[in-house]
Amino acid sequence: MVLEVLNLVAGYWKIPVVEDISIRVDKGEIVALLGPNGSGKSTILKSIMGFAKVFKGRIIYNGLDVTGVPANRLVRMGIGYVPQVSNIFGSLTVKENLEIGAYLRKEKVEDDVEEVLEFFPELKGMLRRRADSLSGGERQLLALARALMGKPRLLLLDEPTASLSPKTALNVFSKIVEIRDEGIPILMAEQNVLKTLEVSDKAYILVSGKCIASGSSEEILKDEDLGKLYLGLK
Amino acid sequence: MALIIYFFLFSPYRWWMVINWLQVLMNSLVWGCMYLLATVGLSLTYGLSRFPNFAHAEYITFGAYMAYMFFSILGLDLYLSVGLAVLSSALLGGLSYILLFKPLKSRGASLIHLMVASIGLGLLIRHTLMQVFGGGILSFKMIWSCIFIGPVVTTPLLLTAIVTAFIVAILLHILLMKTKLGKAIRATADNPELAAASGIDMDRVSLFTWLLGAALAGFSGVFLAMRSSLVPLLGWKVLLQAFAITLLGGIGSFYGTLAASFILSLSENLGVVALTWLGLSADYRSAVAFIVLVSTLIVKPEGLISTVKRRA
Repeated sequence: MVLEVLNLVAGYWKIPVVEDISIRVDKGEIVALLGPNGSGKSTILKSIMGFAKVFKGRIIYNGLDVTGVPANRLVRMGIGYVPQVSNIFGSLTVKENLEIGAYLRKEKVEDDVEEVLEFFPELKGMLRRRADSLSGGERQLLALARALMGKPRLLLLDEPTASLSPKTALNVFSKIVEIRDEGIPILMAEQNVLKTLEVSDKAYILVSGKCIASGSSEEILKDEDLGKLYLGLK
Repeated sequence: MALIIYFFLFSPYRWWMVINWLQVLMNSLVWGCMYLLATVGLSLTYGLSRFPNFAHAEYITFGAYMAYMFFSILGLDLYLSVGLAVLSSALLGGLSYILLFKPLKSRGASLIHLMVASIGLGLLIRHTLMQVFGGGILSFKMIWSCIFIGPVVTTPLLLTAIVTAFIVAILLHILLMKTKLGKAIRATADNPELAAASGIDMDRVSLFTWLLGAALAGFSGVFLAMRSSLVPLLGWKVLLQAFAITLLGGIGSFYGTLAASFILSLSENLGVVALTWLGLSADYRSAVAFIVLVSTLIVKPEGLISTVKRRA
């Protein structure tokens, strides 16, 4: 087991947004958090990263209790995070974004940049461009590439295909599968239910901050009632 | 038209005109350098900590008083005095971040809370300086000889200020563009949450920036005081210009600050020429900074070079 969230109650200021959430991510898995807007998917990821307040519960990463540990220390421990919005450094160049992704490494990162560019060939030739001049799809790829530069052992992705065209979203999904196949487990919040269930191994369905169902993605995909009631599937 | 051509080419006043314009450019260069040193720290800390630090004016003043104390009272060497003054200002900036602004921010203080706290800190520093050194006018007992460069008059102090500002600008360029720490500063100013999620220790980056910003402010204070005199409102007198430059350049942008320092300085000096021609007092030069500040907020609120995202 890589990550275990136990009975999490988390939110902002004094207001809990998610209640009694328990999640488990094992090696080699893509685990999906599904649900409508406001269901608390992003809050779970933010509370793992220390950006939202944890009122109750524990977050265990590789056997260590990391509840409330600041984000920069979690990155040092091997957790990569791609937020839903503002997931690039717009005023920095593409290359600088990648270099910042490897901020914690002391050695030169030129080889790592090359390696990541092999994985994201779309970014080749854009290294000197300001990141805020990229298209939505390119930005999302850069966000993933930046997170991979940190050589994470667990990746948290917050709606990586939000606002992308269907074609670009498919490209991002294929990259996510490739990342999983490289051995990096992924916990991913998404709204693109059908495609997410296709690529993920396990899913948790959230409604109004509560987990109403969980199981293998295959099982959830087959559950017609669940699909119709909560996931907008026909 | 013929009259204008005659005036510029053949009038007995034509050389006076030429000398005046070159002097205006020289004055603009000098003030641009002073403003750059005074403002770059304000802009960087504003970008990183997301609030305007009104106490920055007092870092300028503090540096000047420290140099005065080390040089004129304790009798230390001039360069050593300036170095110690710059270090003292850096220390003041660092302490104000560690003891005041960081705890306030970590407890969720709003922009207004932080601004009011910075005004309070500024008043505290200013009145402490007045208690220690008195509220009167002090001056460094130094006489600067005039240097004539063609038709332009300057002093070794002002030339030193220009050289210093250029060296500082080059070093800051290298720091921000070539070093890991500099890129971390830019990344943190751009997107603090993502910077933390990239492993950047924002406390360390912020502390370094506050130390650097206050040190440069203290440096500018030394030049400002040596150029004229030392008063408790020394920094306060350039705070409006500093904010105008910060907004015009784009909050947190070093290159924007660099450009805006010289734009404002040139605007002010042209403004002084215009005021003189109109028979008005040159004391209204501060109005130029005010006009630049208001115009920027109306026309281009993100400034020349935007690094910090505007919030909805």
